[in-house]
Amino acid sequence: MTSAILAAPALRPRRHANAGRWFGWWMIAPSLAMLAANSIFPLVYALSVAFQSYQILIPVPHRFIGLRNFEKIFSDGLFWSSLGVTAWFITGVLLLQFPIGFGIAVLLQRLRRHQDLLVTLLLIPTIISTSVAGFQWVQLFNYQFGPINYLLGLLHLPQPTWTADPSLALPCLIFVDFWQWTPFMTLLLFAGLRSLPGSVIDAARIDGSTGWQLVWRVYLPLLRPVIGVAVILRVLMTFKLFDVIYVLTAGGPGTITENLAFFTYVQGFRYFDMGYAAALSILQLIVVTILAKLLIRLTRRTLTGVAKE
Amino acid sequence: MKRRGFGLYDLLTYAALGLALFVFLAPVLWMLITAVKPPEEWLTTPPILVPSELHWANFTDALFTWGGDKGLEDSLIVASLSTLLSLLLGVPAAYALGRFKIGGENLSFTVLSILFMPPVAVAIPMYLFWSEMGLLDSYPALILQYTVFNLPFISWVLKSFFEDIPRDMEESALVNGATRWRAFWQIAVPLARPAMLAVALLAFIFSWNEFFFALILTRADVTTLPFILPVLMEGHNILWGDIAAIATLGALPVVILAFVLQKYLVRGLSFGTLHE
Repeated sequence: MTSAILAAPALRPRRHANAGRWFGWWMIAPSLAMLAANSIFPLVYALSVAFQSYQILIPVPHRFIGLRNFEKIFSDGLFWSSLGVTAWFITGVLLLQFPIGFGIAVLLQRLRRHQDLLVTLLLIPTIISTSVAGFQWVQLFNYQFGPINYLLGLLHLPQPTWTADPSLALPCLIFVDFWQWTPFMTLLLFAGLRSLPGSVIDAARIDGSTGWQLVWRVYLPLLRPVIGVAVILRVLMTFKLFDVIYVLTAGGPGTITENLAFFTYVQGFRYFDMGYAAALSILQLIVVTILAKLLIRLTRRTLTGVAKE
Repeated sequence: MKRRGFGLYDLLTYAALGLALFVFLAPVLWMLITAVKPPEEWLTTPPILVPSELHWANFTDALFTWGGDKGLEDSLIVASLSTLLSLLLGVPAAYALGRFKIGGENLSFTVLSILFMPPVAVAIPMYLFWSEMGLLDSYPALILQYTVFNLPFISWVLKSFFEDIPRDMEESALVNGATRWRAFWQIAVPLARPAMLAVALLAFIFSWNEFFFALILTRADVTTLPFILPVLMEGHNILWGDIAAIATLGALPVVILAFVLQKYLVRGLSFGTLHE
């Protein structure tokens, strides 16, 4: 008797848990329908187009051509050079944005006041539209009237045409990307630094660690998961980088600053070679999915490791 | 810890942070200066740092001659409606993922991976889709398209948030006869309010700034600010001051929001991977 009464409340949540599944499905259904319509449909569509000869400008019926579009990718010199451009942007993330973003985060942590204000000020390039940022840099890079060339002129240095100069266009874009996203890197790493237990740092100080040793032996190892998340997140974002190229160079001069995303855009929306553009898209999706999987594995560890103290 | 005086390292810290502030903010300042320069000072050698007067006419030209008013209106409509719709759909979805583990880790992963999908990869089918629906160059197309990218972000960040808040209160409400919906709406949602504000802020900033889909899906009827800027920058007689004014109008709302909601910005931007 008593056991039956005691068991009753325990049973109820379980019944609810089953009911909860239905409730859960019902709650998520609208989102899933929406995401399916707008992501799975395009993917399936792209997959079918990728195996066809589908050129809007050529009035020939679309036909199945197997892997021909994919074969074309690997023999297309422009594809390889666009891959190279993407690789340069990623190099910029790894060699400029990460170390300098980390450096700024460490410096911010030394401040005793106004940390949040400074972070938010630094984040302005990250939170404004690339359109707006692009305009700012068009102004600054202006050959004739830009302040940068004016200052170079004062120092009797050569005044380049920046984004119109074949050898400087890509470095210019990599710099603007650096300018936009290093503060984001700083923010992530600074948040990570702040979540480190103070006792660890104090202990290292008492052991006589100097500033550099603190960075190398304490911060970097302890922050490894956060660094992983920050870097992979930025690499993923760099893969789809488009806006800054469109606004500042439109892929030029020539095709020098076309990255993978921009190259795909050109194939699809300028040459209307839909089959080829779809094949390129699928290639990118595969790479991005693998990277995202890696990111999520790291995120999970960060969530249970550093952050949840 | 012993207290230190103001040493060489502090001086270097301030110098380096000062340099960083200069590098990251100078371009923004230069835009603001141009936005209030009278036309004869737009293109000069040497460039003028302090305008002779505050020429507010750039802003009225930007607003009423170059379509800035329509741009502001469209940006506001698209960004706020998309944010609202994303929350409406995303909060229950996050709750379902976090509380009931609907679809397990695989579904969560699939939802998140949509966030990282290169927009170029879906641009062609989506262009054909919206044109088939007769919705190219319309509010619904842009709003729904942005919602597709806001939804996974919101679901992912709030999912981990719902996982972190203890079930006890909801469980006891259920035992006391509350419906599932009431447990969600009256207990879980109020607890999640700060996290919701953080993701809403980020969703708004994303939709306000978005350029790629605006470029592909709109033409003349819907012209958000990020879309009209590059158009105005084409050609030879660039009206620097007027464009700077439009750019300023495009930047101001998000910068103000960021400062007002500082705490939430940091939380949202760190992607829910780091709890402050």
